[in-house]
Amino acid sequence: MGDLLGLVLKRLGLGLVALLVVSVLIFFAVELLPGDIAQAVLGQSATEETVQALRERLGLDRPAIVRYFDWLGGAVTGDFGVSLVSGERVSEAISDRFVNTLFLAAYAAVLAVPIAIFLGILVALLRNSIFDRVANVLTLTSISSPEFFLGYVLILYLAVRASMFPAIASLSGDMTFLELLHRTFLPALTLVLVVTAHMMRMTRAAIINLLSSPYIEMARLKGMPPFKVIVRHALPNAWAPIINVVALNLAYLITGVVLVEVVFVYPGVGQLLVDAVSKRDFPIVQACCLIFAATFILLNLAADVGTILTNPRLRHPK
Amino acid sequence: MSIFVIGYYVALIAASCLAAYFGQRRLFLLLFSMTLLSFVLGIIGGVPALRFVTICAGLLALAAGVSYAFKEFLVQVSRPSLAKELRTAPLTASFGMFVIFTYAIAGIFAPVIAPYGESEVITQAFAPPDENLLLGGDQLGRDIFSRIIYGARNSVGLALVATMLAFIVGALAGLLAAVKGGWFDNLMGRIADVIMSVPSLIFALLMLSILGTSLWVIVVVVAVIYSPRVFRLTRAVAGNIVVMDYIEAAKLRGEGDWHLIRKEILPNSTAPLIAEFGLEFCFVFLLIAGLSFLGLGIQPPTADWGSMVRENATLISFGDVTPLIPAGAIALLTVAVNFVVDWMLFRSSGLKEV
Repeated sequence: MGDLLGLVLKRLGLGLVALLVVSVLIFFAVELLPGDIAQAVLGQSATEETVQALRERLGLDRPAIVRYFDWLGGAVTGDFGVSLVSGERVSEAISDRFVNTLFLAAYAAVLAVPIAIFLGILVALLRNSIFDRVANVLTLTSISSPEFFLGYVLILYLAVRASMFPAIASLSGDMTFLELLHRTFLPALTLVLVVTAHMMRMTRAAIINLLSSPYIEMARLKGMPPFKVIVRHALPNAWAPIINVVALNLAYLITGVVLVEVVFVYPGVGQLLVDAVSKRDFPIVQACCLIFAATFILLNLAADVGTILTNPRLRHPK
Repeated sequence: MSIFVIGYYVALIAASCLAAYFGQRRLFLLLFSMTLLSFVLGIIGGVPALRFVTICAGLLALAAGVSYAFKEFLVQVSRPSLAKELRTAPLTASFGMFVIFTYAIAGIFAPVIAPYGESEVITQAFAPPDENLLLGGDQLGRDIFSRIIYGARNSVGLALVATMLAFIVGALAGLLAAVKGGWFDNLMGRIADVIMSVPSLIFALLMLSILGTSLWVIVVVVAVIYSPRVFRLTRAVAGNIVVMDYIEAAKLRGEGDWHLIRKEILPNSTAPLIAEFGLEFCFVFLLIAGLSFLGLGIQPPTADWGSMVRENATLISFGDVTPLIPAGAIALLTVAVNFVVDWMLFRSSGLKEV
């Protein structure tokens, strides 16, 4: 067990290093600006004095490396500085929205994961039948559609023409949980469609890969009923790929959520990021990017660790 | 019970009987399960639901017919060796090729096909469609149909350029890494790891917020984001080839790295690389479409599908389908490329799923 712990710790360490490198990338990308932040934000027409004042306020007179450690130290304690446009604290602007985004992603995940795994196993068992072909075409279509296309199609048919769900997912504090679920159903459904398709295909591939292995054939040949073959023989080995698939797709949700939030005007981090990008509000852009990247790395890490935990062979690398 | 409903069920049941009689098991299963499904649909949705199913089936049949005809056409006009391969293409792949062909025609001959210029204001805002304006006017009174045609040139062209750059950089780095090995290989691998550990859309947003949204910036940023994927694949494919005996022989002959790459490795890795190019194009196309939807891609007044969706999105709240057409065009092209790539992967790997 000790060396399992060591292996997991090593992965966590690697994840931490990746996060550190990404934070360097995010911070120093802003240094690429022609001139500096103050000049870029105020524009060409700004007087020398105002630029100088902003520079002082942001502490740009210090070397970049010092500012980086300041920023990183702040980021670790949840302090990302002050917005350039509104003067609000970035952490305050983000915290509520981050909860909203997490809620949306979790909502989508709770719906998508069981459906996708069930359907994925089903089409793997029915492989090469007409249902498998149809499912293949449908999932491919769903993956290939931009998220905003799916979102607007859902708005058009379920919100405007059938008026079953609200088209705009605005949130207010005094909603019941059920109302909240109803309000956010369409954005969640959009994410579900995309992620389910991805997950289904990957689950199908993993299961088919497994079903072609000799020990499954053996089980089948000795006359075991198909249901038992799946549950007793295939499934224990399928957990590793399935956990991997789920974690990778949750990481995929992180990117999808940005576009979906914009389509449904959902008050989440993605919306904030897009607004900040068009206003060139760098502290917010950096904070949002760091949060998204951290979540992405964390979920990829979870995929790795999950695979190690469920696959004994990986615990003893040669 | 209208004539339509009776005809609908009679046609379905007759077709399933025929399928069963001629021993077409798959077709029978499909048709009969559709009949059963139609009962449920008919009870829930009434006649409109059945009409919708009929229209969908008709469209599918039309698409299948067109792709079959297009495949036969390709088989007729191409060289014998190529024709033999094309003959094995499934309907989905030939449908994909047909769609790509149509888009290419629309993009290349855009000024000839489109009735108006892409930024020409010809009517009032959101004018309804009539015989002059096929799809009506957009928020500034420009012809939506013409803009969609021009969009085929701009959106697809930009994605194509970005993909090519990503591909050249990634493939070259991958081939060099495989040939040289050692520290260069390691360095490239680490760089790819770092870039891939940031979600692509987030990375693109970060870089575009800093560097602005000119066309060249988009191309370079997208190329930087996607070249690591190409690098990984090329590195893996070339890595398998580098250990072959004929590479060893070429090295002993004293050939340089460049010769090895060009004459020995590339010819043996074209199939997976071409498939990867198709896949990469889909990713890039979707990313750029997403960026322009967010207002950070191709800037107005240039016609572009992603930004057209955003600009006309208000029409959706009036139940109008027009804003979905450019988005649908994006989806259709991506699906088409995916279909073709699927077939090519299947062919090149000889992968027969059990």
